[in-house]
Amino acid sequence: MKIKQTQGLIASIICAIFMLGFLVTSSTPSWWELGSSQAETPESITVINSGKAGGSFNARTQMYKDGLVAAGYNVTFENVGKISMAVKMFKQSNEPTMMVYSNNQVYKQDLFHTEQNFIMLEYQQPLYVCRTNASKDKSGALTVAHGKGYDPQLLTNLLGSDVVLVPYKNSGAMLKGILGGDVDMMVNNQGKSFKYMASGEGTCEASDTLPKMGATVIGKNIDLQELRKVIFEITMSLPFIEYHTKRKLFRPSSTWQKELALTQELEKGYEVK
Amino acid sequence: MNELIAVSTGLFAGTITGIVPGAGVMVAMIIATPLLMHFDIIQLLLFYMSLASMVQFTGTIPAVYLGVPGETNSLPAVIEGTKFNKRKMAKLAIGICAVGSVLGSLVAVAITYGLLSVLVEHMTVFFSNATKFYLYIFIIAFCLLVYNKRNILVNLVLCAIGFMLSVPGESDISPDFRYTFGIEDLQFGIPLIPVLIGFLIVPTIAKMLSSSNPNVFLPNVDIGFCKVIKHFRKKLIPSSLRGSIIGYLCGFVPGVSTVLSTNASYSFEKKLHPNNPGKLLVASETANNSGQFASMLPLLLIGIPITGSEIVLYSMLVDAGWSPFQFDNVSNNADMIFRQIVPWFVVANIVGLVIAWPLAKKVLNVFANSKKYMIVILGIGMLILNTYLGILDYRVWLYTVCLFVFSCMGLLIKKYETVPLIFMFILGNDMEGVFFRQMLI
Repeated sequence: MKIKQTQGLIASIICAIFMLGFLVTSSTPSWWELGSSQAETPESITVINSGKAGGSFNARTQMYKDGLVAAGYNVTFENVGKISMAVKMFKQSNEPTMMVYSNNQVYKQDLFHTEQNFIMLEYQQPLYVCRTNASKDKSGALTVAHGKGYDPQLLTNLLGSDVVLVPYKNSGAMLKGILGGDVDMMVNNQGKSFKYMASGEGTCEASDTLPKMGATVIGKNIDLQELRKVIFEITMSLPFIEYHTKRKLFRPSSTWQKELALTQELEKGYEVK
Repeated sequence: MNELIAVSTGLFAGTITGIVPGAGVMVAMIIATPLLMHFDIIQLLLFYMSLASMVQFTGTIPAVYLGVPGETNSLPAVIEGTKFNKRKMAKLAIGICAVGSVLGSLVAVAITYGLLSVLVEHMTVFFSNATKFYLYIFIIAFCLLVYNKRNILVNLVLCAIGFMLSVPGESDISPDFRYTFGIEDLQFGIPLIPVLIGFLIVPTIAKMLSSSNPNVFLPNVDIGFCKVIKHFRKKLIPSSLRGSIIGYLCGFVPGVSTVLSTNASYSFEKKLHPNNPGKLLVASETANNSGQFASMLPLLLIGIPITGSEIVLYSMLVDAGWSPFQFDNVSNNADMIFRQIVPWFVVANIVGLVIAWPLAKKVLNVFANSKKYMIVILGIGMLILNTYLGILDYRVWLYTVCLFVFSCMGLLIKKYETVPLIFMFILGNDMEGVFFRQMLI
């Protein structure tokens, strides 16, 4: 009998711990944050997380969520983790909703930045072209790693037709590929290119020709200008400033109209012709 | 004191994560995020290391007793562990796995210490497409030549089914969605859990039900720890050392790491000792721990995460003040590994051994007392797990349909070993990308 009681107790403790864990992670709203400042009539908003754990979309969405809760919003957090599913949810939403987005997704997801959804251009960064030291004197066709979503025609126009384009799943896979000696060059984002330069294995240059990536925030069914003020305040908080500084991200803060115009201009660069 | 807190919480989280099927290191890291936000860099590393090590110990328990893989790298433990359970020797299986895991960890530390400068110089070799290409060739060859009494045709069909199941959705080399048949949920591929349940757990349950013995979970022979050590020393050290080395090398391969470690070591050992479950089990479980340590080295030394859970850890490390650019810091990082991480790693492994042993006894008591009702609990548990993960993934209908379809298929092919199918399903997409790039390069 004693053994059974002990087993029951162990089982109960394990269940309780996991229930607590799930409560903490699937918070709607986050119960541990209820102590933060609340408005008198809290406004509700759904925040869609389109990024995977460990990625920049995920990290930024979490910071926005925390900031909105602190600002008194009732936040419903939809932890989707897949961009196309998040976009589908965003399009179908009839409630006040926001999500982190970027201009390099607009054609694939068929969701463009417009006056009806644009909130803020958070930062922009150029694409970099990196080349290994070992390939400096190489003659013949060069192998170039690129993200699978990049337009091959655009890359050929930039690098010449005498290159072999090698597609990779994502920016991290490209970095590992060039470090492993798979390719002579890569076209990658700023973060991974800085890492590559730090390795001493090669050099990188920001491209003027390739389209710049703009990280944005979009929303719907809500006063976009009011939300922009709150979102802007959140991006001026310490965690956000640290996030941008560490990654050397350029913030083109301007007026809403100018940021929208710039974003729309940048997103044209990702059209696959 | 701070280090002790980090290691203790990591070990605790690892104990629970290991015995709960489907709850892997990545899930545990995400669940523990509110706690980890208050940890500094060393604490985060120690937490992760303790968690990942402990999962390898306790993950063997459900694999051996229930035939349920905690993670994809538990497949060999399921296959060989259940053979021990049928012979009332589950406790011996847990024991030799635990001892082998400690040995694997120590061998991994020793190799790292002895070859650190070589490793730092040549670590990126493991990142190359060619390395993965040849490893995949090796794995495919073993899948064809080792399983189902070396029936190549059967293994080929199973591999083909596994690969076909991995095809729908987004591939590694193209942004387009393929073979989705208009089903939006298929854009993200066929989910893993229904495949594992359908092709691995359902056939196991069916075999249990058709067994003539009414008591499925037989009372196990109580084996003392000293006897386990003696058995290990006499018969299993060579297998364990082989597993350690294979596991260590495969641990560096991005994306597949310990999955490759475990299965490559298992396949290699199966070639040498096809009918010795003890050697097969020890080789794969030793490789698991050895590979786990190796997989952390690219992150710890040069700041490059190579597994999903490491990406989560990396993000937390950067938030805690770690520079994302670690290439200039390799010698300091190496110093940190041996001064601050390795001592706790050894402690974590010894604690893992100490905890896994009595915990196994407790679990054994629960199962032995519950007998066949455990089958019902297992079945319902898997259904709940599948539904819950489907809801979390916003694809509950696809999960449910897949579970039904794959369970039926699993029952139809229950007399075959389905490891080649599952392995090709897990790695198929990555293999396709690697083979395609190899042709271009």
